[in-house]
Amino acid sequence: MKHIAFILLAWLSYQAGQDTYVCKNAKISIFSKAPLEDIDAASNKGTSVFNAATNEIAFSVPMRSLQFQKSLMQEHFNENYMESDKYPNASFKGQIQEKFDYSKNGIYVVNVKGVLDVHGVKQNRTIPGKITINNGVVSITAGFDVQCKDHKIEIPKLVFEKIAETIHVQVAATYTALNT
Amino acid sequence: MRKILFLTSLMLSVCFAQAQQTQSSNTDSLLNSLTSTNEAEPVIAAFKSTRLILTPTTETNKKKNLNFMVVHRFGDVAGAAGGGKTLYGFDNSSDIYIGFEYGLTDNLDINFGRSKYEQLLELGFKYSLLHQTSNNSMPVALTLLANAGLKPYQVTTNVFDDYTNRLSYFYQAIFSRKFSSRLSLEVAPSFLRDNLPFPYINGNEKNIFALSAAGRFKVTKHMGIVLDYAHPFSSFRRNNTSTPFYDPLGVGIEIETGGHVFTMNFTNAEAISPINYLSSTTSNWAKGQFRFGFNIARVFDLDHKHKGTYK
Repeated sequence: MKHIAFILLAWLSYQAGQDTYVCKNAKISIFSKAPLEDIDAASNKGTSVFNAATNEIAFSVPMRSLQFQKSLMQEHFNENYMESDKYPNASFKGQIQEKFDYSKNGIYVVNVKGVLDVHGVKQNRTIPGKITINNGVVSITAGFDVQCKDHKIEIPKLVFEKIAETIHVQVAATYTALNT
Repeated sequence: MRKILFLTSLMLSVCFAQAQQTQSSNTDSLLNSLTSTNEAEPVIAAFKSTRLILTPTTETNKKKNLNFMVVHRFGDVAGAAGGGKTLYGFDNSSDIYIGFEYGLTDNLDINFGRSKYEQLLELGFKYSLLHQTSNNSMPVALTLLANAGLKPYQVTTNVFDDYTNRLSYFYQAIFSRKFSSRLSLEVAPSFLRDNLPFPYINGNEKNIFALSAAGRFKVTKHMGIVLDYAHPFSSFRRNNTSTPFYDPLGVGIEIETGGHVFTMNFTNAEAISPINYLSSTTSNWAKGQFRFGFNIARVFDLDHKHKGTYK
């Protein structure tokens, strides 16, 4: 009796392992059109977990890993706006609203409902994305806007750089199955 | 048999629930394990500018960035040379400094500047040797500065007969630590060599060791209070009664507005360059011989090969 239970448990967790996908080099880029100069940065140090069994998706990116073309802008971004020493990561964790069978190849348009944490301020968001399954290779792309004021990112009046109030974020991740 | 069936289904459901639960928390713990932030990140922006009031900071310019500086010191606010008749010093300028710093690499600057005071020309290098790290594996930053100074013009005495007498050398090791996002402090031992002692008084020394201490406390994200002090170790200066010397001390506020950093300050030092103020500060705060001054620093990014990272 017990043996059966153990086997079942083992089988279930094996299944869970099969359905969990991770990505350690998710590409996160931000862009904002500003009157003086565009804000434009990218990181390939994002991390992500996609759990096909529970329909959960989680993303995280270290703020300091975002590389700007202008080093002074990068410093101001971390020091003055994102306060990266206090809030080192931005993250999103959510639940896919649709049910799909991810064992089949295809492009699945999904809506992920969850919590976006930027600058230490959590916002409930539903973010649209695309899940692509191609012969077992799972990749996800998404794009969304972040309003500075929603995340208490202060834009002081006395600043010569014109800072945009809306930052567009793009996310791209290709996953590998987690071996358990 | 029924009992067994019941037990099986119970266990199944328990297992399934467990599996679900572990999966859910798995996502969190997995993500946490992937985003472990134990890496030693260099601490950035200990100071907003390469210079406080008197003392250079550990900051250097990034590669291909040009920092243009205009520094101004007015005349004595009070005392014999100050007061209403000079509009509290605004009629006079005790020193004006125009300087350029260019980042050869992210850690190495070449700098050039010219002071009104003694018409001093300076050329030097600043090298950021150690970077403070977020996990304190390196608790401080260390930047080395080496400047050569030249006084190219005629002076009232003929003591510049030997051309090498016009030269001065200044070496400084700046240690800084960013204690929090608000508070950064630095100490900087330095060595000044004047081939001809300055000011030219009998018994004055050619070599002066000095120690500077300075700090910045941010009040808001863009504005902070700056305190800056330097002490030359000089028995000549300590014992000279005919011309008393004083330690340079400055206090001010620093405002950053995107690419510019402004410092508005009061200091007793008439001169702006360490080569001048370490050897020749004879103004005394207590006698009203302090002055208003400002520093303006503007960084230009000269790397035009920027291409968008956004795809």
